[in-house]
Amino acid sequence: MVTQRENHKWGMVVDLDRCTGCQACVVACQAENNIPINTQSYFQQRRAYEWIRIERYWEGEFPNVKARFIPILCQHCENAPCEPVCPVFATYHNDEGLNVQVYNRCIGTRYCSVNCPYTVRFFNFWQPQWPDRFRNQLNPDVTVRTRGVMEKCTFCVQRLRRGEVNVERRGLEPLTGERIPVADRKLNYRQMKEGNYMPACVQACPTNALQFADQHDETGPVKAIFEEANGQIETREHGGHVDEAHTRVYRLFEEVGTKPNLIYLKKVDAFPVDKRPR
Amino acid sequence: MKLTRRNFLAWAGLGAVGAVACEGFGIRHGELDLQSPVRLPEDLVRGTDNWYASLCRTCPSCEGIVVRVMEGRAKKIQGNPFFPINQGKTHARCEAGLQALYHPDRVPSPMRRSGPRGSGEFLPISWQPNGMDSLRTALQARGSSSVMITEPLRGHLGLLADRFASAIGGEQLGFETIDNNTFRAAVKNVFNQDTLPDFDLENSRFILSFGADFLSTWVSPTRFNRGYGEFRQGEGRDRGLLYQIDSRFSMTAANADKWLPVRPGWEGHVALSLAQVIVSEGLEAGGVDVGALVGGDAGIQRLNTFRPEVVVQLAGLTPEMTGGDPVEFLKDLARRFARTRPSVAIGGGSAGAQSNGLFILEAIYALNYLVGSVGAKGGVKFNPGSPWDGVPASGKVGSLEDWDRIAEQIRSGRTKMLMLHGADPVHGLPESLRLRDAIAQADDLFVVSFSPFIDETSVMADLILPDRVYLEDWGDDITEPGPGYQTVGFQQPVVNPLPDLDPLSFPDVLLTMSQELGRESQLPWSNFKSMLREGSDALFAMNRGSVEAASADEFWNNLLKKGGWWDENTTGPANIQAPNGLIQTIANKASDPDFAGIGLGSDSYYLVPFVHNTLLDGYNAHLPWLQSAPDPLTTVTWQTWVELNDVTADRLGVKEGDIVRIESSKDSIRAVVYATPAAPPNIIGVPLGQGRKSGSDYATDRLGKESSNVMDILETTLVRDTGSLAWASTRVRVHKTGESVSISKLEGNSRAVEIGLTPAEDIIKTIRPENA
Repeated sequence: MVTQRENHKWGMVVDLDRCTGCQACVVACQAENNIPINTQSYFQQRRAYEWIRIERYWEGEFPNVKARFIPILCQHCENAPCEPVCPVFATYHNDEGLNVQVYNRCIGTRYCSVNCPYTVRFFNFWQPQWPDRFRNQLNPDVTVRTRGVMEKCTFCVQRLRRGEVNVERRGLEPLTGERIPVADRKLNYRQMKEGNYMPACVQACPTNALQFADQHDETGPVKAIFEEANGQIETREHGGHVDEAHTRVYRLFEEVGTKPNLIYLKKVDAFPVDKRPR
Repeated sequence: MKLTRRNFLAWAGLGAVGAVACEGFGIRHGELDLQSPVRLPEDLVRGTDNWYASLCRTCPSCEGIVVRVMEGRAKKIQGNPFFPINQGKTHARCEAGLQALYHPDRVPSPMRRSGPRGSGEFLPISWQPNGMDSLRTALQARGSSSVMITEPLRGHLGLLADRFASAIGGEQLGFETIDNNTFRAAVKNVFNQDTLPDFDLENSRFILSFGADFLSTWVSPTRFNRGYGEFRQGEGRDRGLLYQIDSRFSMTAANADKWLPVRPGWEGHVALSLAQVIVSEGLEAGGVDVGALVGGDAGIQRLNTFRPEVVVQLAGLTPEMTGGDPVEFLKDLARRFARTRPSVAIGGGSAGAQSNGLFILEAIYALNYLVGSVGAKGGVKFNPGSPWDGVPASGKVGSLEDWDRIAEQIRSGRTKMLMLHGADPVHGLPESLRLRDAIAQADDLFVVSFSPFIDETSVMADLILPDRVYLEDWGDDITEPGPGYQTVGFQQPVVNPLPDLDPLSFPDVLLTMSQELGRESQLPWSNFKSMLREGSDALFAMNRGSVEAASADEFWNNLLKKGGWWDENTTGPANIQAPNGLIQTIANKASDPDFAGIGLGSDSYYLVPFVHNTLLDGYNAHLPWLQSAPDPLTTVTWQTWVELNDVTADRLGVKEGDIVRIESSKDSIRAVVYATPAAPPNIIGVPLGQGRKSGSDYATDRLGKESSNVMDILETTLVRDTGSLAWASTRVRVHKTGESVSISKLEGNSRAVEIGLTPAEDIIKTIRPENA
């Protein structure tokens, strides 16, 4: 059941100037979401499951060479191309801005994966297997997906629900365990403020390159950035010009019109490499 | 009290319940009262999770973690938001501690060797009487000629292991494949400090790093990553600039604004040339007595021999690398470094792993005096020592000279007993030391391993007494480097071992042995927890620091709840006087790097090994999450790759996935080619970490051609005056084998160049380099 809550609209901001490519988010996601162990052959077959991955791009040639890192995960698009092609409505957009995958409905057509421009949907070609002992670690809040089912980043929706329970019912700040004063314990989206609910990747990121919050939350870290990005879309839709040189805000494949709920902040390049054709 | 498994469990259980009874990461007192017969956390079925604070032990730096436990099973590790080092953040390695806990290849119970040594054939035995009796008998007969090899130990376990070794008349030594001894010696000589310093990256505006891959594996990467994030885009500050002077394109070089590929072994000369520019142009910070620092006119004359004009040739800097005249580049770099204050110079990694590594690191760290960043905000910050008398704040780590001596002692029969804990020297030492053969062939040697996993050294053991994994055991650690003030982390058992496992805590075994051998006077504790409790009581009596409590019991509980104790008011020294004529002394030490074995030629390459981002030196090679975490630069997983420049690969006639044989004067290994535009043409990079010959399937189930150990081919050149291994001073030849494999990497088949939509902002908004 989806909790009816008009005010939530989750969003993530990825600051590429902070990201060092360290892989902390990748392993944190695998630990949180019961992702099967990516064996050597999964990589060799290009079927590794990485709900979040760090892509690395080369720019230039030695000695004027740079490596760029960009974390890629489900963009939770407003106009998600994966959604209309599903014949069984296994993927849909919920009212909190999340692109949701219903594993029970999925019949494995893989149309959604074909239609996703970000390649962030993963199909279970095999029944996931762990040695018995490793199963002790599996997160009880997350389904173990079976063979034949599509899966993807959920923005750690289970942690959102845990956060609600902890904040609103138990009266505890989920991260620090500190008690919230009784007067403040009520159903109000501002309770779920930045810091007391985070996806596992954001929680782990040592440079704080990943930020996550409610886009409406005045005190949160993402509201202003989303407003700027939405302003850019509006400007472009009305035929206006966005001065790319003076903004770090962009969305991935914005021209496709998917309207992601994920915003990237460009890397600042003090000494750009010579980008002449190779 | 005699330690048996039953009463040990009772102790651990009581302690764990004590740990549960807290508000922070636990449940309420009342609920425990209602369930008084219940003594173990896994018996509490509440349908909710508990979070326990503890310490991460998947790398040598010490990070605070909180572990989510549900019905007695650990489910998730996260950073402890209170802990000063990592402040709620983690490295990829920390998360994988769960896989060590629930690993299918853990040694389930004590075992004794049943086949030839090294065959890996063992038979299970019981702790009582067999395991403990064998250990006691061996200690009685051989204790005085024993060597205990451990991971670098700090805190109470360091004290315990040291005292145990001296009580039985043996020796205890920490082992690290890539040790910090040269860095430590440089810090001692330049700053006169005994503990490693912290770098205040968060408040720095300019970082000049030589060889230190501080964003990936060097010293305390999670802490440095936190600082780096703020350094780049912290609120209310200018964006900082990072220059990386490094022979290899490391992860830190990839994140730098400018990477300068220097010839290996000449970093120290570059540092002195920067000092020469700063001194000759009078760019030093106010209040710096240049005369005293450089050593008067004689010193200035000596320093002038390191003018950029001279050094660019030696360091192999070309106009292509520096985008113009290299001499001007170095001068410009020196000016930026001196003017963009606070700035900080960091050196380590491959820069210190040369025969002249100590000179190199001293020259680098001395730069900090010139720009006034010694002990200052945004610079090098020093740490106070241990809060407890006699409890070590630094791990004692053996140098290559020590390991050579111990291998010789084993061969000559003077060492009759080897005890191993958390160290795999057979895998981690150069093959040419022949430690494996020494152990295998020693007739009168008894090897005891306390490791919970089989590795290349413990497979040679006569007796295996498996330790608990850190999530099941007590412990503490004095963070090194600390955050600039006194910090102690506490580790508590967050779960009990699974019923099919029968490990016993290593420190408890040592204490039991010392009692049975009648050495209580030196080690008067009944178990390790009581030793830690004594430490907690001592902290309580100091009446300072982060933990507040009215009684010693409450203090202990709050201490475990927060995962440690720290006192922001007890900082390291802020004002450090440079030794007189420091820079002259360093300049007089300058020497060329030595490369033994294969000479310089058109077919030889500098081999720069590096520590794997997640597997480290192989310490984590048995953890599948870390095997499958792609290397940040090449995205390769599960395999040993060799980074070859595109041009080099073309010249050798190899492409990605081909197998090459890398040959030094000592031996050769095979590795999978990864051709990259970022490797300097005369350098090849090979990661440590793979190539385990025994142990978990996750570490060993690959073919020799795709998983190899680069330590096998290193020359045993020493860093002068420290006796450490100069691990970046090997030259090799590369041969095509004609074989190839499917490379397992995340990147697609075609090379990923350019990022699509404008990824990088070409125009710098916050700080323009020309104005810096």
